[in-house]
Amino acid sequence: MTAFKLDWLGTLVAVAALAATPWLFGSSYVTGIMIVALCFGIWAASWDFMSGLTGRENFGHSLFIGAGAYTAGFLNVNFGVNPWWSLLAAPLVAVLFSLVIGFPTLRLRGPYFALAMLSGAAVMQNLTIIFSQYTGGQDGLNGLDPIIDSPLAYYYLTLAFLIATAIILRLVANSPWGTILRAIRGDEGSCQAAGINVTFYKIASLMVSAAFAGLGGALYAHYQLQVGPDLFAIVLSINIIIMVYVGGIGTIYGPVGGALLLNLLTESLRGFSEYRLWVYTLVLMLILFFLPQGLIAPLWQRIRRMAS
Amino acid sequence: MTALLEVTDLNKHFGGLHAVQNVSFTLKAGSITGMLGPNGAGKTTVFNLLTGFVPFETGTILFEGAPLAGLAPHRIVNRGVARTFQLARPFAGMTVLENVEVACLAPRARHLGPPRSRAQAILDLVGLGGKSAATVDVLPYGDLRRLEIARALATSPKLLLLDEPFAGLGTSEIEPLANLITELHRSEGLAIFIIEHKLREFMQLVHEVIALDFGEVVAIGPPAEIVRHPRVVEAYIGRDDFGDAAATGAGLGTA
Repeated sequence: MTAFKLDWLGTLVAVAALAATPWLFGSSYVTGIMIVALCFGIWAASWDFMSGLTGRENFGHSLFIGAGAYTAGFLNVNFGVNPWWSLLAAPLVAVLFSLVIGFPTLRLRGPYFALAMLSGAAVMQNLTIIFSQYTGGQDGLNGLDPIIDSPLAYYYLTLAFLIATAIILRLVANSPWGTILRAIRGDEGSCQAAGINVTFYKIASLMVSAAFAGLGGALYAHYQLQVGPDLFAIVLSINIIIMVYVGGIGTIYGPVGGALLLNLLTESLRGFSEYRLWVYTLVLMLILFFLPQGLIAPLWQRIRRMAS
Repeated sequence: MTALLEVTDLNKHFGGLHAVQNVSFTLKAGSITGMLGPNGAGKTTVFNLLTGFVPFETGTILFEGAPLAGLAPHRIVNRGVARTFQLARPFAGMTVLENVEVACLAPRARHLGPPRSRAQAILDLVGLGGKSAATVDVLPYGDLRRLEIARALATSPKLLLLDEPFAGLGTSEIEPLANLITELHRSEGLAIFIIEHKLREFMQLVHEVIALDFGEVVAIGPPAEIVRHPRVVEAYIGRDDFGDAAATGAGLGTA
């Protein structure tokens, strides 16, 4: 079997497993956890598309998530706009944010982009608290409408968006565009010497990354029916980066797997109650120490080698 | 032959160092020209100014009659001026084929054919055709040099700038590379501009030599004349009178 066919077969198996999950467990609790995990999958894949491929680390992906989620919140709560529109508006606003940060900082080399993303997210988190008359402060915006009432239907909606996100980003990553992004990771100067407009490709890939992160933010907001300042939190950005590394950076499908895995891991460690974070951290350290290339992507590559 | 590149009164300072001083020269279409000078003479700086990697202060650079001042490096490449780096700078983690494919995706080259097959053809041309699937991380140094040239060629240049293509190569690797450069010049009609501080390697290769010392052009002429030029001898041997230093000029800088 060719590697190409095998990849689609693997995708099919993964999608079938995810589609069967709510029926296998039959509990709304698991479905709820899985919806959040799917959102994390969208966020991890979108982080990977820009930072994983180009090597320009983005330490504030929550900026785009928060921007998308608050856009959904404002439109729905303050203006009563139909929640379906959030799925269009949230990516657009997130792209706007990506331009504000990316345009001045991605033309430069050095840590400016990473730092601007980090501080951009921190500033937005504080602004939501300062302008509490509009944003609801710490309490955030409450009472969003669900896009679909039934949690089971919402699960499939989110799953559909995750699959679309992962397939689109993976196809682009395998296209000439992806080749250029990986070359940027290798050496920006050589890329310029090869006639490639490095700044253009970095900004464009950040815009794509932001759009999908914002979309995930809106899906998350309309599931939680609430948005709060924590959606801009640095810890959210860091968690996404960890998921990417655990899954296998630069592969798109790896980070999706990493996001699902770590979300399920946190939940399954609830039995440890107050020691949960200790155990979680220990497991993470073991994974990253023994499998620095990650878990999901190298595993799949091994299966592929064995099959072909 | 018409002027392909016209450089007039180029100047660049790095702090208190006047790295390039009123440098002027002309490259003809389809010529092979060398730039000679001891280490620190400003050769690579001139390349960096020509290719937009470092901005120059005063002077003009005309390529096919159009100024290159203020253009970003990738725009200059897309005008038809490609370069290699002194230390090979491949895209780490990617295959040899992908390394060249990236340059095939430059706006100037994109319409010339499917990137992948064009990249393979160029690798065949420089003698790396059999290694296209290898990752660059395992490539020996001599091959990385060829890869640098392949990547530059993939942008379909009219003028190819080679920054010390022979540096760090063993004697057995130098001759095939020199033959490749001659072959490219002959078959593709490329104008080639080579930096070298070892004279022996490019004596037979180049039609004309521009000699640089302390950022200034000290002589321009055919290689046989340049090696006997007093200012060139002085730059290499020093100011003392070494008597017949000029007579042994062909051996200059081979140490």
